[in-house]
Amino acid sequence: MIQVKHVTKQFIRNKNKHQKESFYADEDLTFDAKDGEIIGILGPNGAGKTTLLRMIAGILEPTSGTITFDGKKYQENEIEIKQNIAYLSGNTKLYDTLSCYELLKMCCDIYGISEQDSQKRIEEISKILKMEPFLYNKIANLSTGQTQKVNIARCFIHDPKYYILDEATTGLDIISSQIILDFIKKEKKRGKTILYSTHYMEEAENICDRVFMIHKGKMLRMGTPKEIKKETNTTNLRDAFFQLIGGASDEE
Amino acid sequence: MKNNLWNILKKELRELFRDKKSLAMMLVIPIFIPLLVIGMSALFESQTNKSVEEFNHIGFAYSLSEEEKQIAKEMKLDVVEGKEQELEKKYQNEEIDLYVTKEENHYIIHSDGSDTSSYATTLVEEYFNLYKQVLQRQYLEDRNVDANEVINAITVEEKVVEEENFFANYIKNYAFLFLIMAITVSATYPATDTTAGERERGTLETLLTFPIKSRDIIVGKFLSVTTSSVITGLISLILAILSLAISKELFSIYEGVDVMYSMTSIFFAVIIIIVYSFFISGLCIAIASTSKTFKEAQSALTPLTFVALFPGMIAFMVGMNTTPLLSIIPFLNYTLIFTDINNGIINGLSIFLMIASTIFYIALVLGYIIHQYKSEKVLFAK
Repeated sequence: MIQVKHVTKQFIRNKNKHQKESFYADEDLTFDAKDGEIIGILGPNGAGKTTLLRMIAGILEPTSGTITFDGKKYQENEIEIKQNIAYLSGNTKLYDTLSCYELLKMCCDIYGISEQDSQKRIEEISKILKMEPFLYNKIANLSTGQTQKVNIARCFIHDPKYYILDEATTGLDIISSQIILDFIKKEKKRGKTILYSTHYMEEAENICDRVFMIHKGKMLRMGTPKEIKKETNTTNLRDAFFQLIGGASDEE
Repeated sequence: MKNNLWNILKKELRELFRDKKSLAMMLVIPIFIPLLVIGMSALFESQTNKSVEEFNHIGFAYSLSEEEKQIAKEMKLDVVEGKEQELEKKYQNEEIDLYVTKEENHYIIHSDGSDTSSYATTLVEEYFNLYKQVLQRQYLEDRNVDANEVINAITVEEKVVEEENFFANYIKNYAFLFLIMAITVSATYPATDTTAGERERGTLETLLTFPIKSRDIIVGKFLSVTTSSVITGLISLILAILSLAISKELFSIYEGVDVMYSMTSIFFAVIIIIVYSFFISGLCIAIASTSKTFKEAQSALTPLTFVALFPGMIAFMVGMNTTPLLSIIPFLNYTLIFTDINNGIINGLSIFLMIASTIFYIALVLGYIIHQYKSEKVLFAK
């Protein structure tokens, strides 16, 4: 189980040429994600989703608050936690000079997967994601969709317990997106914990058990899609979101 | 998991050897060493073997006496007599190399500071010394004094105890200095690529999500840049040895002298190359990792090339000797100690201090970079 308690992230930015100011990317966020659950992190661009997921993935450190994985904190168990995490975002890029196979093999080596199991895992993932035709091609020569598939493959290769997916289907065609969504559903059934950030509200409604709505770094609502729709008296999460922020989008 | 340092090193080396620019920096930079060594040798040769016909056109703004004409003839001076204005014009048109005017017994040599003019001045000064001797001899003989006893009251002879070729030492030391510069230049690109470049390409975020300690990431990157620097250094050393051998065949200034590195020099050169590669790789990574972009890192690293070159160059020029203090001053120590070894002086303390201080600097620099990589600034410094 992932537990996020009162997590705040403060950044310093330039106000003008001579002055700096602090701002909160995320402020006092609290939620949990149980085993076998898909939690949707929903919000518009700039809502603080990526910062939140980066903190959960251990790339950023919260200014305050705690994040635990089955009760374990990064401060004491960083390597053990990262060993069980798969983190994927639109910002995570791959090594252009490597082939897909070389990248996946490197990931297997890093995660300590044996030679024999590595081959098996690479074959398995390539089959699921339909990567066989370009498995030995250099990443630099792949299309956006193919690259995203490789990115997803490197996340799944070590059979992690926790998935932290930030806009995982961005750049993929409808078929590839469906492959990812099916894979996520399958992993959920295997008891994996999945945090799934997206700005496609319909997609979230389809696959998430609960959603965590976030806007301008603050929590709007947490609950099942059904509960949120009922509470806001709407028929879909998109309308529910606008209802919660008090009308039309005021995105900056 | 336990071998993640090796995994990172493998990944970095694979990227390094597949990147055309990194490969070019590693392999092409050493090619400049033969060009510099042979070019410098050619320059020395042209300066040393300047024929007297190239600077013996001397203008005299007065009529020469018979004695003067005789001396000028013996010294192969091309005498041009004329009025001062005419000679000045000829000098400006480079028809003569200098001209001399006379006010009673006072002679004035008119020249500029150019090389040819300097050679011509030396020639004319020698001419006047001889003429002075003729006048002194005449004066003494008129007074029935034995001129030889006065003029040759003392005699001076130069006896060369040990044949030492200035140019040979100079070129050997400079070849090593160029080698240090080649290592520095070649370290900057992979150091930039593996730090600021990785951040700019967005792969650093991927790397930081892996279960790898910051220490392993940094040490892996550091070792890959060091490997590249050592390769450049060794190729440069081979090319330096070859170019010294070629220079010995091509240029007469190296005739009869040993212009090659001794086996001891080569052995210590390899040690210094390895030690320096560790040092410069750590320094380059430290500087590059604080830069926000690839371009910024390259700009920050450019001065390092000059920093690597100048202390050694100045040390050669002023004839600096290695001391314990100088042995721990980075950049200067590597060239000074190699110069000593080249001159047959192997100072164990200096070598120990050089290696120990380098290890200290590397530990300091790596500690700093690891601290940097633990901070989120390294990923989001924009």
